[in-house]
Amino acid sequence: MVYEECVTHESSWDADEALTAVYTAHYTSLVRLGALLLRDTGTAEEIVQDAFVAMHGRWNRLRDPHQALAYLRTAVVNRCRSRQRHLVVVDKHTPRSLPDEPSAEHAVLRTAETDRVIEAMRTLPEKQRTVMVLRYYGDLSEAEIAEAMGISRGSVKSHAARATKSLRQVLEQSL
Amino acid sequence: MNDHSNDPFDELMRRALAEEGDRIEPADALPEIRARAHAQRRPATRRPWVVTAGAAALGTAAAIGAFTVLDDNGKSATDDQIAGPGTTTSASGVPLSTTPGPTTATPLPPTVVPSASGKPEPAVKGALVPVYWLGDRVGVTREPTVRLYRTWAKVQGRPAVEAVRIMTSKQPPDPDYYSVWRGAEVNSVTRGNGVVTVDFNQLPKTRLDPAVADVAAQQLIYTVQGALGDSSEQVQITQQGRPGGMLFGQVDTSRPLSRAQAANVQALVWINSPMDGQITKSPVTVEGIAAAYEATVNWRAVNLKTRATQQGFTNTKEGQKLSPFAVTLKLTPGQWRIEAYLISAEDGRITDTDSKTVIAK
Repeated sequence: MVYEECVTHESSWDADEALTAVYTAHYTSLVRLGALLLRDTGTAEEIVQDAFVAMHGRWNRLRDPHQALAYLRTAVVNRCRSRQRHLVVVDKHTPRSLPDEPSAEHAVLRTAETDRVIEAMRTLPEKQRTVMVLRYYGDLSEAEIAEAMGISRGSVKSHAARATKSLRQVLEQSL
Repeated sequence: MNDHSNDPFDELMRRALAEEGDRIEPADALPEIRARAHAQRRPATRRPWVVTAGAAALGTAAAIGAFTVLDDNGKSATDDQIAGPGTTTSASGVPLSTTPGPTTATPLPPTVVPSASGKPEPAVKGALVPVYWLGDRVGVTREPTVRLYRTWAKVQGRPAVEAVRIMTSKQPPDPDYYSVWRGAEVNSVTRGNGVVTVDFNQLPKTRLDPAVADVAAQQLIYTVQGALGDSSEQVQITQQGRPGGMLFGQVDTSRPLSRAQAANVQALVWINSPMDGQITKSPVTVEGIAAAYEATVNWRAVNLKTRATQQGFTNTKEGQKLSPFAVTLKLTPGQWRIEAYLISAEDGRITDTDSKTVIAK
């Protein structure tokens, strides 16, 4: 039942095979990443699906699952960010709350601790919040965050430092 | 940025975001993504199947086998050049394969003209269909001792015919699964008057125990209904247009067969992801479905080289019925066998199991 020699031929995958493999491995975590950035699971699902469709069309140039993942991450982060900016503009004109819950039937209660952190994250400007989500949820390095967001490593550092400072303050107050 | 994990602030952030992320369970979107990807695909991105077939021959069937490479005997369309719906109209209009190279397919013999009461399913450019296999239960004497395990295969052409063809002629993508339908040759799958008719040129000649034969008949029913996306219609099995043969020496096919309850024939535990032979990152999330006593699914991961072993248990969302479970494993680089298994409430024996061999990076 065990293959003694497992030679891998990822680079010979065609677009469909790559799509299925990368989807299986990363779809859920990318939707979660998008949902953490947007606080809206439905929109996150749409954005991630769009990104997968685009990745499939581009597979000839990507040719490698790791590059495909980096491509997907960048696409998801970009689309989530522009979506957020759009929402901010819309919000200014029609004040409304963002959808916060993944969905009613999945609304498992958060622990108080998570609740405080998520609330505190909301006070951050968009870039700082994105850096923090990529760093702590995505577990990305500074360089990877810089690449996904299209900013310099220096900016990643400073956004992270500012975000950490304000989060610490907010979290200490709420204790 | 894994360098300050000892800082309580970092710990808090990781924990809180992970918890928040875990609350989100997106629905399966692969079929939709595939359909959209194909709708916008251009011919330039097409790659011949030959490459994949060659790779599979090298012994990487596990990594690639999940996609069930169609072989070169001309029974299947072997590339993307297949005619889409609307271009294949006649009953004998099986699309020709145009794959170049050694796997050049010969045109199929004309499909048997479907009976007057039934229509063949439409051909599609690409579809992901479930294919069911048999897998042995372990340590049980109660029947059935085999259960159905599902895998996914990508097909072009007529999904149900292709799914049955895979089930009857291919190696399952998991070496623990098997099919007693090998050797059977499917002619056509037609629908009409509330019945799906699966016609075989040749039914399998194997004789089986009654209980196994029943599950094997369900293997066909589940596969056909899954490919058609409709589990409401009974399935009539015929041989060269005639019903009534004794399937596996046991199952009377003079009348259409009904789908059995999932709880009676499906495996009680299976791993959906990762796939057998997959290369995974660590940590890897193992996802599957189980119908488990008190919702408890046990798991074990063994490094095949060092024999390092991890084990534990997790819970399905609901007990007693088929319900999803997930467990996240940290694996050192190398080849691992991941097993999910159920334990008998009566005597603690392992009763049902599914395993996948993966390569952790």
